[in-house]
Amino acid sequence: MQQLSLLLTSLPDGILLGFVYGLAAMGLTLIWGVMNVINLSHGPIIALGMFGTFFLFIRLGLNPYFGLFVIALLGLLLGILIYAAAVHRVINAPHLSSLLATFSVNMIIIGLGTAIFTTSPYNVDFNMGSFQIGSVTLLGTRLIAALVAILYTGALYLFLYKTRPGKYIRAVANNRAAAELMGIPSTRILALSFGLGTMLAAVSGALIATFFPFNILSGGSYELKSFVIGVLGGLGNPIGALLGGLILGILEGIIPAFMETSWVPAIEFALFVAILLVRPTGLFGAKR
Amino acid sequence: MALLEINDLSSGYGELQILWGAGLRLESGKLTALVGSNGAGKTTLLRTLMGLVRPWGGAISFDGQTITSLSAHAKADLGLALVPEGRQLFTDMTVYENLELGAAAQRGRPHFKRNIERVFEILPRLKERVNQKAGTMSGGEQQMLAVARGIMAEPRILMFDELSLGLSPILTLSLFETLRKLKSEGLTMLLVEQNVHMALAVSDYAFVLSEGRVTIEGEARALAQNPEVRKAYLGI
Repeated sequence: MQQLSLLLTSLPDGILLGFVYGLAAMGLTLIWGVMNVINLSHGPIIALGMFGTFFLFIRLGLNPYFGLFVIALLGLLLGILIYAAAVHRVINAPHLSSLLATFSVNMIIIGLGTAIFTTSPYNVDFNMGSFQIGSVTLLGTRLIAALVAILYTGALYLFLYKTRPGKYIRAVANNRAAAELMGIPSTRILALSFGLGTMLAAVSGALIATFFPFNILSGGSYELKSFVIGVLGGLGNPIGALLGGLILGILEGIIPAFMETSWVPAIEFALFVAILLVRPTGLFGAKR
Repeated sequence: MALLEINDLSSGYGELQILWGAGLRLESGKLTALVGSNGAGKTTLLRTLMGLVRPWGGAISFDGQTITSLSAHAKADLGLALVPEGRQLFTDMTVYENLELGAAAQRGRPHFKRNIERVFEILPRLKERVNQKAGTMSGGEQQMLAVARGIMAEPRILMFDELSLGLSPILTLSLFETLRKLKSEGLTMLLVEQNVHMALAVSDYAFVLSEGRVTIEGEARALAQNPEVRKAYLGI
């Protein structure tokens, strides 16, 4: 009985969080799927999104949800910059080169972030109230974060499948040389894709900051979750990433009702390995 | 003056030089063939011409303009279109999307409606498959789509790399019939083929590439009678 009431509080929370995990993972899997680069600076970029909310809200007094637009734009530009500075040169090199390049970016952001912000926790004191449905309480900030994540997923899906630049991204992901032959400037498209990937990471961080304290290292755990979700949902597929995030969120909602919370990562990564062994293409049948 | 002229072109991959000063000319409105045995450098020549492989030396001029080192997408925007070897379709995307992307270059975009109707008229099979993923079609249908994608670009020069490779004789004939149709509309084309017999039969002028150089050139009909060509490439 006690477990049931625990479940009733943790499961809805887990589900709402799951959507935000999905959004973060979308950023990782978009880049991975389009250019076969595993972006190891994903975590710190999520953390930068968190600091973005902090500065826009605490220092400039901008509403965090309005600030999302600013953070999205900055995230896009940062991604294009990272692509041009660190990724472009090694895009055709073996995987190890791009791993090292994005890992360097990861270290640079963490180093600068630690120097500037220290590693003590920051907190955005922002309250959107809560909603009571029966015996279930939903925090306003989490509910809105989940809705924003769903909106972004829908928007990304429409962008990739219905617009010209989106189709160019899919074409370059599918066959870069052929895309060039069709007149598609593939380097610009790759830079745009990387920008979109970091934009999604930054926005997810901005949303997480509205309900969890954070520091410059906080992105790391979301980066790891993004890997698990990428494997669950397949690469470069926004809907798959959202569903993968939801599965992870549900697990995180259920596990604490039956065992210590510290078991959560162990179970998540056991799942990760199991899926890699059994269905390496992802649960929702994406490519590769 | 030739519409496209390649002079003394050399290129290769890494340390390996493939082209050793190859040259050819494409006359406006003509169907030109580039033939040669496997490994002669035909595909490398096309890839260098299109900018997918960086030229090491030599010059490429198109319509009086030097375009030697332009990127592939810039060349596509000028109106050079290649139907590449092995088709290189966007296999995860639908037939319709492949055709849309075929018209991504500057010249293709404004004529999308007209060209897609034309493509469906010439290759009606594609119309039945518009919403199917390109990778799930048969080899022959995929080759039709690759040709159609080339037409969608509204190209000034349309090039084909091994159009007939792996296709049934009937399908090859029907695709060559498509080429004839395009030629009657005045399109300039370059046909790169291992199937020398077929290539010489449909083209106006031909170049023979051997070990990275053009060794023989002439009217296609004359080349088909040339004893050297007959012995080396036609097996007669």
